[in-house]
Amino acid sequence: MSGESPRPAERAHSTSAPTAAAADDLTATAPRRRVSELLRDLRRLALFAGKRLLALLLTVLIGVYLTIVIANMGGQIDELRLAQIENTVAEEIRADPAFHDLPSERREQLLNDRMQIEIERLRLDEPFLIRSVDYLRQAMLLDLGRAEEMHSDAGSRQVAQIILERLPATLLLFGTANLLVFFVAVFVALGLSRRYGSALDRSVIALAPSSAAPAWFYGIFLILLFAFVVPLLPPGGMVAAPPPSGGWAYAASVIQHMALPIAAMFLAQIFISIYSWRTFFLIHSSEDYVEMARAKGLPDALVEQRYILRPTLSPIVTSFLLMLIGLWSGAIILEQVFNWPGLGTLLFEAIGHRDTPVIIGSVVIFAYLLAVTVFLLDFIYALLDPRVRIEGGSA
Amino acid sequence: MSAPALLEIADLRLSYRTESGAVRAVDGVNLELQRNEALVVLGESGCGKSSLAKTLLRLLPRNAVAPEGVVRLDGEDILGYSEERFRREVRWVRIALVMQAAMNALNPVIRVGEQVAEPLRIHRGWSRRRALERAAEAFSEVGIATDFLSRYPHELSGGMRQRAVIAMALVTEPDIVLLDEPTSALDVLTQAAIMNVLKRIKAERGMSFILITHDVATSSELADRVALMYAGQIVEEAAAERFFTAPAHPYSQMLMAAVPKLHQQQPPRPIPGRPPSLLDPPAGCRFAARCPQRIDRCSEAPPSTTLAPRHRSRCWLHAGGKR
Repeated sequence: MSGESPRPAERAHSTSAPTAAAADDLTATAPRRRVSELLRDLRRLALFAGKRLLALLLTVLIGVYLTIVIANMGGQIDELRLAQIENTVAEEIRADPAFHDLPSERREQLLNDRMQIEIERLRLDEPFLIRSVDYLRQAMLLDLGRAEEMHSDAGSRQVAQIILERLPATLLLFGTANLLVFFVAVFVALGLSRRYGSALDRSVIALAPSSAAPAWFYGIFLILLFAFVVPLLPPGGMVAAPPPSGGWAYAASVIQHMALPIAAMFLAQIFISIYSWRTFFLIHSSEDYVEMARAKGLPDALVEQRYILRPTLSPIVTSFLLMLIGLWSGAIILEQVFNWPGLGTLLFEAIGHRDTPVIIGSVVIFAYLLAVTVFLLDFIYALLDPRVRIEGGSA
Repeated sequence: MSAPALLEIADLRLSYRTESGAVRAVDGVNLELQRNEALVVLGESGCGKSSLAKTLLRLLPRNAVAPEGVVRLDGEDILGYSEERFRREVRWVRIALVMQAAMNALNPVIRVGEQVAEPLRIHRGWSRRRALERAAEAFSEVGIATDFLSRYPHELSGGMRQRAVIAMALVTEPDIVLLDEPTSALDVLTQAAIMNVLKRIKAERGMSFILITHDVATSSELADRVALMYAGQIVEEAAAERFFTAPAHPYSQMLMAAVPKLHQQQPPRPIPGRPPSLLDPPAGCRFAARCPQRIDRCSEAPPSTTLAPRHRSRCWLHAGGKR
């Protein structure tokens, strides 16, 4: 044999990548060695997962703590609260006829006592720094607590209840719109990358700057056009009032209400998404192995699927998952414009009411979702791309 | 002429549209290739030899103008085939390619074996098992252990990847294997090993090769015939022993003088000057500006002259332009 037989380094590599080798019938490895390799691999996997989890937890911790500090304005909000408590208590005492006859110093006494009770209930007498750590502990344990001002439509003051009640509306609207934009963009882009430079391609590029305006901006014009100039669709809300009674009629009404906001989001995002995916596919379809696949006489569809889409699946899945968790925050202004009872509206109201538990609650959940997604992505990458191998251990 | 050629290229032209005008990368190329023959297309960078390869397999970039001329494979003009027919009947069935950048010619996320077996499954409709068995045969033919079939490309060294790509070109037993600078990215030892593999395959399988390269020394290992390309044209086409020992065209002579040889007394002589721009090639002989034997007629385009059977040159010195 001239030249090179498999190098020693590659042999060593082959034992350090047993998942690939063990799973394949073409490699005949002794079963015992296979088991020990599998065990070592699992141990390494666990170590890797542990490290990643720790790092992500730390990230969430820092993110949530920053939110707590900021949402409380670094403790500044306590003074606002104190003033608010004083107001409320004074008002209660003034309004209660039972206290009308009391002498003023007794009233003062009563006022102070009641304020003291309220302050102790809210633990405003403790320094903010200590309380912030306690808030952090609760938040990390997903004990979102009670809202200060707001309540759910069902009357609950639990932050979790308030958020859960709004979640379906946001998921429905933004889920539909984003999935639509994502899949339309990816597939149109794939087609355009094949017809690079065509009139269609150039017009999509020319239209890309249309995404400079946000969805709510288009929303305003769409409402004007399709709800008032040509009254085809409802201008806002999620369902007709009073809600139709039948299940189908209800669904039809919701779909009618969703049409305009979805159209607004679609218009605002579609061209820029197609543009960026098209460029992405163009770059990846000029890889040598794509040309090689064409030379091999593979049909275009197969080249696209196996040589363009398959190697680029990691970034596609990444942006898909990030898009999915992005649904969580909703969109404050768009929901306002369309009067959509979702999380965006909730956050808007919570900020208006300075209802810190609600603000922190939604941020905590978002942080956890993000962390879980990133954690999942680490493993999805390894599944999708054999080049992404788990580091660690001394091979 | 002798036996009908396996591949016959007549007056092939290809140009690219660029902002500054049409670049005539292949400008009237005539070539022929017999069965079980290795033709080396020599030429310096940018002379159009890769464009020639790409034209043969229709792997042209978007700015290429549709090629003109005739490319006959076993007497049939494949240039006139529809895209679909060309894909089904020519690509990899008749002509296979070993790419210039073989390091990156394998899909990073698919096992090497699958990629090598793929043409069989597509063109012959073979089952996965059968195609993989054939791929394993091709692997041992090019000298890679068959357990590398289940590896991913990044787990192979450069030389092994190049061998895998060659194995891929062999699986369907095409008539012609087109090798576009197959060893230029490899170290000298690996280059020699790969050339040995190719020589052995040629001897055993009776395939035809077109080897496109700028490397005179390496190409001489395999060549039966040599075609020297300059500025989009073939300036000399001859049998290998003739070309390497007694080249006819002034450019061929200077090129051979520029190649360092073992036990050589004088240092190799470089060719002064640079090749002309293909955007606006000179009207006459394209080598005239660098040619020491230049005569007046060189300002007219020289015809291709037959010096001996299957030996042609494009030079006024041979076309009787001396007077």
